[in-house]
Amino acid sequence: MGKKPLQILEKIRENLERLNEKMEVIIEIQKHGRKDMLQPLADAPLDVMTLLSMPDHLRKTAMTLCRCGRATAEEVSEQTSRARAVESAYLNQLVIMGYLKKERDGRKAYFYADRESHE
Amino acid sequence: MSNKKTGKIIAVHSYKGGTGKTLLSVNLAATFAKQGKNVCLIDLDFRAPSLFSVLKAEDSNKWFNDYLNDGCDAPNALIDMSSKLPGSGKFSVGLANPSTEAMRDMSAKDRKWEMRALGRLLALRNSLLESGGFDYIVFDTSPGLQYSSINAIVASDLVIVATTGDRSDVDGTRRMLREMYDLFEKKTGLVVNKVLDAGSKTKQEEMDIKAKTVYQVPLLGLVPCFCDILRAEGDLIFVRDKPDHPFTKIMGEIAKKIDNSQVK
Repeated sequence: MGKKPLQILEKIRENLERLNEKMEVIIEIQKHGRKDMLQPLADAPLDVMTLLSMPDHLRKTAMTLCRCGRATAEEVSEQTSRARAVESAYLNQLVIMGYLKKERDGRKAYFYADRESHE
Repeated sequence: MSNKKTGKIIAVHSYKGGTGKTLLSVNLAATFAKQGKNVCLIDLDFRAPSLFSVLKAEDSNKWFNDYLNDGCDAPNALIDMSSKLPGSGKFSVGLANPSTEAMRDMSAKDRKWEMRALGRLLALRNSLLESGGFDYIVFDTSPGLQYSSINAIVASDLVIVATTGDRSDVDGTRRMLREMYDLFEKKTGLVVNKVLDAGSKTKQEEMDIKAKTVYQVPLLGLVPCFCDILRAEGDLIFVRDKPDHPFTKIMGEIAKKIDNSQVK
């Protein structure tokens, strides 16, 4: 009893989250006047000088991810004590900026700094 | 984050050179080891390596450069020097390679490499503290805004800033604390070195106030200008060779403050 509505709500939440992520991507692309480019900037290294020059809110997220290695927005939010949706927005922004990579594993989206890719 | 009761990573840094970073790093690590703790001391000053000389390991064939270059695992880049501190905890060191070729190689690294090096330093928490049984990792860094030093700062739990009374050092240190450390939200402690009249109460109070108002970080210790240290010409591990010297006592107090402080 009551399980089905919960499942539906969960599904709605998931879809809303995905929609939210897509909107963030669109907003970010518009902000930078990159309407023609749907691909993120290629391989910007997330080094310490980059971290230093970032706005405070993004640095906090980026540094947390550096320490975790690979994490979901939920895991990052546990470390930063900010809302999961906020971290999700910042992480996606960092993906668009080319500093992070994102991959889906089932229902979860994992973010990581790509340290191994080509020079 | 590092809220487990594992170990701590400490970076010793400064704005200017010659403030006593290596002296503090070596003696802090030796103080911890003397207390029975397992300590790993790593030279991250790849532009002017000095630990190999202080610890008389000129003929070493193991260099910490190799770990950062992906050439080996962390334990394989370390040298066990516990025998240099008999009756103490484990004392391992990671040496920066002093050959001209290695220094040139390290100074020509690109941002991508530096990013990977940060990842390697962050991974030490797992390989040395959580799995390797070390209680402390102490990074000796190069002064100022160098990649290797900032990597060390980001990877550490506590940064000890060594400074002197020199006017340019005071000003630069203050700016560095505000414009870099604050951005990384690092727990920081100050050690003022080469202090004149360090024993007097008024001097101590004056420096305490200065730490709070000018630097806005806690004062870990005041190290007087000791002629004995200059006379030793870097040839001694002071806390080992001069157990009753006031410097050894001061290092003990600094270590105690670090040991008691909670890591966020």
